[in-house]
Amino acid sequence: MKLDPAIRDQVLATVPSLRAFAISLCGHIDRADDLVQETLLRALTHIDSFEPGTNMPAWLFTILRNLFRSEYRKRRREVEDAEGRYAETLKSHPEQTGRVEFSEFRAALAKLPSDQREALILVGASGFSYEEAAAICGCAVGTIKSRVNRARTRLADLLSIDSVDDFGPDRATRAVLAGSGRN
Amino acid sequence: MKTGKPVNVETPASDADKPEAWDAMGRPVTQRKSEVRLGREVQARIGQQLRAMYDEVVKEGVPQHISDLVRRLSEQDDGAA
Repeated sequence: MKLDPAIRDQVLATVPSLRAFAISLCGHIDRADDLVQETLLRALTHIDSFEPGTNMPAWLFTILRNLFRSEYRKRRREVEDAEGRYAETLKSHPEQTGRVEFSEFRAALAKLPSDQREALILVGASGFSYEEAAAICGCAVGTIKSRVNRARTRLADLLSIDSVDDFGPDRATRAVLAGSGRN
Repeated sequence: MKTGKPVNVETPASDADKPEAWDAMGRPVTQRKSEVRLGREVQARIGQQLRAMYDEVVKEGVPQHISDLVRRLSEQDDGAA
């Protein structure tokens, strides 16, 4: 039995956001694209477990998140090393990321505990409700709310935001020029 | 709290003490910053930055190799899995 084209189109429509989520989790695009491919492979070979009419994005995000978590547990050390190198690259050569305007923000995001980072992204960027994010992460709604709050507070702290004006390309540039950028 | 740093560090040293702009009361804009505390506006800025970063990837759409993969898998027989 071939896949219903309507279901296939729902999958394809979710891919851009799924990639953005994967990149936010992994910190780098190659690993993220591998993760997206593994997710789609898993999803499409188990499409029978998807109930038509239910939330396709939430289903795919759940699969991707579980794959990321199980691999993260297996390769914790390796992932942390990669994140460390990524942060160093941002600091010393921000132009190499090709995304200079977000370099400081990405570096701060990479420093969050992964459960806080994923909660913040699901709710703050992917557009899921707290309830949907809780279902994706397999935890209580209150847990998601608390993780999102802690993530926001920690980000503001890491970015040393004490002024609305003090947040943007100018500050990112200054932070890089100043080395640590914290004072 | 911040205590009025120059807006732009690339300004030559000789001009560094000159404010870039003045507000309606004639005060240098750099002196206004210190009063803003972490609050709703800062959280809104974090949200904006987060979405802008995310949307930058979303705008890239579906890479060809991924769209090929999905089409190939969706043509497969269930038994092949």
